[in-house]
Amino acid sequence: MGQNSSVVYGKAIQAALQSVVNPVPVYAAFNRNFATQPKFVTWMLRNIHQDVYTGQNQNNKGIDRPIFQVSIYTQVIEDGFAISDQILQSLHGYSGLFGGATYGIQVSKVDVMWLYNSYDNEEKLGQIFLDCQLDIPT
Amino acid sequence: MALPNKVLPGFSAALWAQTGATPTPLTTANLSVWTSEVEDIVGTGAGGTGTGGLQLNVEAVPAFGQDDAMANFSVAGSRQSDKIPTQSAPTSLTVTAAWNPSDTGLLLMRADAANGTIDRTFVVSAYDGTNTVAYAFNGRVSQFQIDAQPGAEAKCVFTVHPRGNQYGWSNS
Repeated sequence: MGQNSSVVYGKAIQAALQSVVNPVPVYAAFNRNFATQPKFVTWMLRNIHQDVYTGQNQNNKGIDRPIFQVSIYTQVIEDGFAISDQILQSLHGYSGLFGGATYGIQVSKVDVMWLYNSYDNEEKLGQIFLDCQLDIPT
Repeated sequence: MALPNKVLPGFSAALWAQTGATPTPLTTANLSVWTSEVEDIVGTGAGGTGTGGLQLNVEAVPAFGQDDAMANFSVAGSRQSDKIPTQSAPTSLTVTAAWNPSDTGLLLMRADAANGTIDRTFVVSAYDGTNTVAYAFNGRVSQFQIDAQPGAEAKCVFTVHPRGNQYGWSNS
């Protein structure tokens, strides 16, 4: 089928994360100005790719399985673990409308992988990184 | 037009089928005739007219052509046996497609498999942007399976068995 819209993906991810970690702010990318905040979440989207199949029909494509990386920054390390757990509990294995009524898209499954946690001594921020993979019907 | 005269990428191949629940397949002679016969099944995207066919949105076109077949003779006292090629059957095509339950082509294949006796003309086209070479055959659909493994897209797998001697090559 046709190529899905990456704009739609971005809006859905922003809305989904906001609703999960509310009232912690969510941003689409890291900005050093945020480093003064006690806790915040950023995300980056990668690996948008629908398999391309044979023939002259441009719409002969497969499903999309993009990954968005969520970075959780907190001054107190325990806060970071709590936020990460919130995301795991609500998104890992989730199936259905992702991102709420306004910006949501239907996903067949969300798969969350905790990559690692770390600490940035310069910014005085604990960091946790999660990879979230979406299975999106095309 | 002429035969394509260049080495083609695998992506240049497409699989086409006659439309209609109970089609009238091309005669054996017409399977080798491009104009108004095979060209009607191949769509405009691949140099045909597409008036009587649709593209099956498959992942890839599997190996097509003729099977290997021979008889092996051994004679007592002779030092070597002899392998004599026989008239081999056209190759069966086991095809994988991403499964869209509403796809017209896949629904046609599902109905053919359920029926089991519908003869339909299929065409494999290879298109270089100007010229098309086509391999057309009459076949019946046998296997039709849905593979819905988690962690990947759902696949539709079906097999087309060509009827004996009912195939031909043509070009635009």
